[in-house]
Amino acid sequence: MNCLHKLAGGASMALLLGGCASLSGDGGFGAAAGVSEQRTGLSASVAGRLPRNDDDARALAAVIDKKLGQPLAVDEAVHIALLNNRGLQASYWSLGIAEADLVQAGRLQNPVFDFKRSHGGGEVSIERTLTFNLLSLIMAPLAGRIEGRRYEQTKLLVSNEALKVAADTRRAWVEAVAANQSAEYAVQVEESAQASAELADRMRKAGNWSAMDVAREQAYHAQTVADVSAARKAAVAAREKLTRLMGLSGAQTAYKLPDHLPELPAAPQELGDIEQIAVNERLDIQAAKLDTAHTASTLGLTKTTRFINVLDLGVVSNSEGRTNARGYELSLEIPLFEWGSTRVARAEATYMQSVNLLAQAAINARSEARESYADYRASYELARHYRDHVVPLRKKLADETLLRYNGMLMSVFELLADAREQSAAVNGYIGALKDYWTAQANLEAALGGRLGDRQSTNKGVTP
Amino acid sequence: MTTRRSFLSGAALIGAGMVTKAGAASLPEAPVQSSAATAPPLVPPNGRPYNPVVTLNGWTLPWRMKDGVKEFHLVAEPVVRELAPGMTANLWGYNGQSPGPTIEVVEGDRVRIFVTNKLPEHTSVHWHGQLLPNGMDGITGLTQPGIQPGKTFVYEFVARHAGTFMYHPHADEMAQMAMGMMGFWITHPKDPKQHAVERDFVFLLSAYDIEPGSYTPKINTMLDFNLWTFNSRAFPGIDPMVVRKNDRVRIRAGNLTMTNHPIHLHGHTFEVTGTDGGWVRPSARWPEVTTDVAVGQMRAIEFVADAPGDWAFHCHKSHHTMNAMGHNVPTMIGVDHTGVAEKINKLVPGYMVMGDKGGSMGDMQMPLPENTLPMMSGDGPFGGLEMGGMFTTVKVREGLARDDYKDPGWYRHPKGTVAYEWTGEVPPAPRAPGVPPSKPTETMNVKRDAKHHH
Repeated sequence: MNCLHKLAGGASMALLLGGCASLSGDGGFGAAAGVSEQRTGLSASVAGRLPRNDDDARALAAVIDKKLGQPLAVDEAVHIALLNNRGLQASYWSLGIAEADLVQAGRLQNPVFDFKRSHGGGEVSIERTLTFNLLSLIMAPLAGRIEGRRYEQTKLLVSNEALKVAADTRRAWVEAVAANQSAEYAVQVEESAQASAELADRMRKAGNWSAMDVAREQAYHAQTVADVSAARKAAVAAREKLTRLMGLSGAQTAYKLPDHLPELPAAPQELGDIEQIAVNERLDIQAAKLDTAHTASTLGLTKTTRFINVLDLGVVSNSEGRTNARGYELSLEIPLFEWGSTRVARAEATYMQSVNLLAQAAINARSEARESYADYRASYELARHYRDHVVPLRKKLADETLLRYNGMLMSVFELLADAREQSAAVNGYIGALKDYWTAQANLEAALGGRLGDRQSTNKGVTP
Repeated sequence: MTTRRSFLSGAALIGAGMVTKAGAASLPEAPVQSSAATAPPLVPPNGRPYNPVVTLNGWTLPWRMKDGVKEFHLVAEPVVRELAPGMTANLWGYNGQSPGPTIEVVEGDRVRIFVTNKLPEHTSVHWHGQLLPNGMDGITGLTQPGIQPGKTFVYEFVARHAGTFMYHPHADEMAQMAMGMMGFWITHPKDPKQHAVERDFVFLLSAYDIEPGSYTPKINTMLDFNLWTFNSRAFPGIDPMVVRKNDRVRIRAGNLTMTNHPIHLHGHTFEVTGTDGGWVRPSARWPEVTTDVAVGQMRAIEFVADAPGDWAFHCHKSHHTMNAMGHNVPTMIGVDHTGVAEKINKLVPGYMVMGDKGGSMGDMQMPLPENTLPMMSGDGPFGGLEMGGMFTTVKVREGLARDDYKDPGWYRHPKGTVAYEWTGEVPPAPRAPGVPPSKPTETMNVKRDAKHHH
């Protein structure tokens, strides 16, 4: 960058540009990976670069297979996704494209009259019309500066993409483990209902119960069988979502998940100024800031030259949807009818647009931080309530019911019904625990991938 | 849990204040009983002589003589009564216990009864069966205002006729009787030789609905009680009635439950000799082994205890010889648990199959909810008695002292007088020729299936 700035002044110096900007060799991956590694605590590559050939692929597969050899903890799943998610890999390569563009922009152009390009979603279209070499000579430093900042931005956005994949994977892991647990709960309920129905049938055979009583128990059992199917369906869907995020296929899809979600930590994280953290740490905000800063410099340029039109297009998109189409246009105009005032006005408007987009992004980030932090704390409280009150009280009820069964004060059917109620409470806890870990992932995403000392999301395999 | 002491202290403070205002100096002492054991008969220290009764798991209220008037002091108050070892109940009673103490007077006595109310609501006492001035009958609203909390009322009348009576509130009686407000009343004949017996036992029949794990009766229960008691005791908490061989024995029972109780004595025949209306003329008595005591009635039965042994004495309604039990538990008899039991045990650790061979829990010793009694329990010399509720024994023994009511232990049967197991060969059961062996269960199934196919 410094290099670009120094040289931007004179077209005569443009010859030296080629010597200044050169390809990094890893397509900028190292820089982007460094940011995401710092935020997730997990390396984004096996060999320090993107896999390019069969050897790389084999090394990657070996690393992943080793991780899949045991029940997959959440951080392991996230790591696999960072290494292996093909969408993310594609994003990394887009960084390579941006770098190539940057280097190319810094080099002397072949004779052209007009130079127009746009890129978006990984697709680049370049349109050229024959023009004076001289003009391209004048334009080259400008294009280099613009590409330079675009590259910086792309780096941030790609890193951000990595954080998104990490957060999505974290959520998908929690969902998949919880779905398994819920399916297991459904089986317990079904077993209890089956025992009831079977006993009811035996009672009918002994002449103690009516067909209606038996039908009632059997109908309930039939419903629980349906519930098991539904729960298993949901478990498969959740698992496949996780599989997709980790980019797994073939034999690797047979990975094992832990039986239980990690236990609730002793206390939730106490975070001070979460809004400030979000604004400081979020990469999308940083990208927007960069965008605004560069728009400001473009405005300055436009004001100085008046006849060189530098128009940046595109909007800041901080979380949703695909990357927006972005591009720029450089043109030199002959001041015949208009002396550049509209150009300045337009540049100013573009700048103001950028400022407001940044402001909106900051407002969104702050709001998301508040919301996700509140949700995180509330989810913790709810899960703790289930763990400390609902589940123990259900256990107490089950104990008391058994005592009443012992005294022939209640029947075995009430005992079984209570066992089902107890399972429901446990399932409620599973749901609350799932919501807590999901809320934690959401909070991390809203704060830019960092949550204090990053306690205990890993390893906790048994509650 | 509120202990009786802490429960009472608040009420006692109010009471003391009010009593002082009413003139404590003239008020007789109100003795308090803290034990649910059977107190020995109270030999009258003064007044006309009589043969005192034994209140089963209860006691007789001492009195004072003042200017020729027998003065008693009843304190209506919350009490904690032990229904049987292992179970206590928060009840309302008199002078520390529920039922209250038995009042014993002699025909012709002038009686003055002070009633102090330490309950949280108004009360009154109705002297069931007494012939007295209308204004002494104790009906709130009709013959007197309610005795408000902290207040003391005085009832005074002449015990005009000998017999068996009781007392209970006639104010909010649905709640107050369900809480245990009741007591026995005996008016002895002027002549102690008249109707004289060697042993004279009295008790009230009462019923409570106390949810296992709780302590206070559900006062709104109408019929589906779970604890059936003699004097607010449930077997095995009821003392035996110990008698000497060839004693003439009288047992008097009053029914303040909401259903009748056919009271049955083993090994003897008896005669109903009295009701709350008075003595039955000898010519009108008929021999019985069971007599029904209807709601609100008193019965006095008499017999000569000529057969040594431990004789069962109980209400013949079989649910009334049970303690707390689930009335909605389905019958499990004959239900094959093979396989299912294991499944249930997996879901509910600690589960055991019960009831598939009958209702008896046999010798199972399984943990129960707090403060309740096993459905049927009590151990006898031959094993589990499987009894609860309104059940006890009349223990007839030779050579007891006249005033000896101590439990003599289990009866020692003379050789050859106990049912024994046949160990010889068992011949096949005779069957009418041509009749196939009966299989009741199968027959039932066939019938039912046939019906369903129509």
